[in-house]
Amino acid sequence: MEDEIFEQRTDLSGLSRAVEQIKATLSTIIVGQHDSIDLLIAGILADGHVLIEGVPGVAKTLTAKLIAKSIDAKYSRIQFTPDLMPSDILGTSVFNPKTTEFEFKHGPIFGNIILIDEINRAPAKTQSALFEVMEERQLTMDGIAYKMDEPFIVLATQNPVEHEGTYRLPEAQLDRFLFKIEVKYPTLDEEIAIITQQHNQKTADQLGHVKPVLSAHEIVTLRQVVKNLHVEDKLVVYVAQIVHESRNNKSLYLGGSPRASLAIVNAAKAIAAIKGRDFVTPDDITYVAAPVLRHRIMLTPDKEMEGITPDDVIGQIIHKIEVPR
Amino acid sequence: MQRLSLAFLVLFMVMFCGTGFAAAKKIPLKVITDTSKIGARHFDQKALDKYKADKDFDYSGQSIGKPSLWTRFWDWVWYQIGRLFNSIPFSGTALKYFFAVLAVAFLAFVIFKSLGIDPITFWRGEAAKIAVPYSESLEDIHGIDFDAEIERAVAQHNFRLAVRLLYLKCLKQLSDKDLIQWQPDKTNTAYISELTAPEQKRVFGLLTRQFEFVWYGNFAINKQAYTNIDMLFTDFKKQLP
Repeated sequence: MEDEIFEQRTDLSGLSRAVEQIKATLSTIIVGQHDSIDLLIAGILADGHVLIEGVPGVAKTLTAKLIAKSIDAKYSRIQFTPDLMPSDILGTSVFNPKTTEFEFKHGPIFGNIILIDEINRAPAKTQSALFEVMEERQLTMDGIAYKMDEPFIVLATQNPVEHEGTYRLPEAQLDRFLFKIEVKYPTLDEEIAIITQQHNQKTADQLGHVKPVLSAHEIVTLRQVVKNLHVEDKLVVYVAQIVHESRNNKSLYLGGSPRASLAIVNAAKAIAAIKGRDFVTPDDITYVAAPVLRHRIMLTPDKEMEGITPDDVIGQIIHKIEVPR
Repeated sequence: MQRLSLAFLVLFMVMFCGTGFAAAKKIPLKVITDTSKIGARHFDQKALDKYKADKDFDYSGQSIGKPSLWTRFWDWVWYQIGRLFNSIPFSGTALKYFFAVLAVAFLAFVIFKSLGIDPITFWRGEAAKIAVPYSESLEDIHGIDFDAEIERAVAQHNFRLAVRLLYLKCLKQLSDKDLIQWQPDKTNTAYISELTAPEQKRVFGLLTRQFEFVWYGNFAINKQAYTNIDMLFTDFKKQLP
């Protein structure tokens, strides 16, 4: 008996088709990085912002630009620099001599998909300008609240903190990112494929042929589908145990926040949807635990000196907790 | 300023001259005789005898006696070490540096230990391994009478629980045959990946999917669906070596 005994309760065919289209578009240019692409798509479906970290030259910005181009929505790019001011991002009130009134000039943050390149090159003052807009999807300026259009997605790239000219992002801002995706170096085969692909390319514009495969409205609809997926109570307890354990772990100076618990559940739902299920399994939770938690937790100085990474501690935490079965 | 300096100079000269004149005056001499009595003091003989009787104060070397075997052994060890270092050129300097390095290493060890850092892993530059404290499983598959529990769940029409017990029983069978390593923290996918035979992997993957639909997906299950799933599990058991 090979056929499924159970039929799906939720129609995920539209979502699966959209995911396949995005993956197909990305695979024409990006070689490998399957997990990163899955997490990026999951981030978009889970209504979250995504931080992409990697050393220079591993196609962080290119991946983010491709994702943005494959969605038919208002796209803005902000290059973060050390002298960038909050008003350069948010906008500013300008006096109009004709009307003798101040008019608010919208900054580049007003868009659907915002690509912030090299986010950790701007100091904390500029970073804090993003707090309200990232969490509440609104911006308060001169006492007026401006609502962001849906979907509102921030895709940010950064070099690892220890690199030249970078600042550590404030914890409050890091907590606002659903995922921190770490882009690693490609394998040898992947590197050969990258060189061959680049060598065979006839035009300089890599992204010229990329066409949008999803509209902003479709994303909002897919998000609603993801939001309604089923999560068993015992899995909610499992998520809470993981995050709670992160707060009591001796290797950690700072554990996960309740926002992290919510992020794990939302991200696990998105992964389940990508895999064609309308319910979450423990595998979905363990898959997203590291990308959700790794930027929210802080190691104690001695563990940092020993060379232990946040992913090591997250792995330890997951191994300590029994999978509900 | 110059005037002030001049005034100080004049005052100093007047004072100096005054003192000189006073020293020049003659004072009459007077002889005083010491009439106090001086007597000789003697050591307390009893106390001396007591000290002499005490071996601790005997420096003649006769009372020490023969050194023990243990003492002679260590004397010999230190003598050999001394000979070894004496035979090395610049041994004095080498020994000095050796002990200096040893002291620094000991100090570094104490500092690292007090900070809670493992010095060996730090020195090697590798990430330390985290010891995983392992807690006992809440659901010990080796302690459940599956047949009785499944029978009871089916009798109560609790087919959802019955499917769960079927899956746990299947995990136990795989664990008993060393096809998987049972650990409470492992997910179902981890068990699928542990199976090496492709057919076993495929069928167990299918069983896992049915279990997940019922247990995590909260899908409604009736007697017919349960019977179908039970058959799948029975067929899989027959495939096992």
